[in-house]
Amino acid sequence: MDHFAIITAFGPDRPGIVALMADSLHQLGCNIEDTCMTRLRGEFTMMLMVRLPEGIVAEDLGRRLTPFTTPLDLAILCRAMPDQAASRQTPLEIPTFMLSVYGADHPGIVAQVARTVAQHQGNITDMNTRVIGSGDRPIYVMVMEVQLQEAQQADQLRQALEQLKPLLGVDLTFRLLESVTF
Amino acid sequence: MAIRPILQYPHQALKSTNAAVVPSDPAVQAVVQDMLDTLAASPGVALAAPQIGQAVQVIVVDVSRKKGERGHGLVVLLNPVILSLEGKKSVREGCLSVPDYTGNVLRYEEALVEGLTPEGRVVTVSASGFEALAFQHEVDHLNGLLFLDRIESLSTDLFRRKK
Ligand SMILES: [Zn+2]
Repeated sequence: MDHFAIITAFGPDRPGIVALMADSLHQLGCNIEDTCMTRLRGEFTMMLMVRLPEGIVAEDLGRRLTPFTTPLDLAILCRAMPDQAASRQTPLEIPTFMLSVYGADHPGIVAQVARTVAQHQGNITDMNTRVIGSGDRPIYVMVMEVQLQEAQQADQLRQALEQLKPLLGVDLTFRLLESVTF
Repeated sequence: MAIRPILQYPHQALKSTNAAVVPSDPAVQAVVQDMLDTLAASPGVALAAPQIGQAVQVIVVDVSRKKGERGHGLVVLLNPVILSLEGKKSVREGCLSVPDYTGNVLRYEEALVEGLTPEGRVVTVSASGFEALAFQHEVDHLNGLLFLDRIESLSTDLFRRKK
């Protein structure tokens, strides 16, 4: 039976981080499966799902990785992944929406929007935010992918989001994500 | 004739070169019929011959199989080429031959496609919207290209760095 772990790691961005991480995991016998990595300003951040070899448990992985990654000053956290969460499943055909929210930056935008989505049983499955604009007039931009069990829930969520606009002083659009399969 | 299995990558038929065909060839007519039967039994709106393991330049497109789409109805094209494309757009695209994954690819709103009918007549099809995407995707298959070869952004386009 295969066992899986999730690793999160981050450190100052520089060339070679991915190569070192991948090489270290390979030397430990871990197989890299699904990953997501990006740069948050000057910091490179990684989330990796790995298949563990016989004889390594997730709890030990961080300790065993550290000697490899110390030169790059990476912070590392590992945790076992439940087998059910790790299994690959055909994605269900669930209505998926994109929500863009943007406006003058102020505290609470993410929290209020996310709460509204949650109150309508929306599941945020992917999300990016950025602070853009000039230093004295920062603009907050947030894009999220939201799944709803039922397409009918979309209208209610859209209305609730519309009501947030004046409250938060933001602009937003909520739209069906069209993906085409040929 | 027969419903064929739709091949999935890494089947090498999906990455091979495909030969131009002669409409009068009975073998070509058989391939066309198999593609039509397979399309009819599939959840999709279009197929390219390599997807059923035939290394020839044949596509079938019928966007009217999708609710709300009409396009040109069923179009069978032999040796299709795209003459022109207009109106760039980013599309989240998937493929029956690459299960469980979609990616953002650059496509065009309008496509002018030329090819031969199964009877050997030269036709041009001016497709737009969903139908134009279908033609671009299927002609790619004839060139051994999958949408994976065209993924242009990992996530939300908004956050692509300015070049
Ligand atoms: Zn395809």
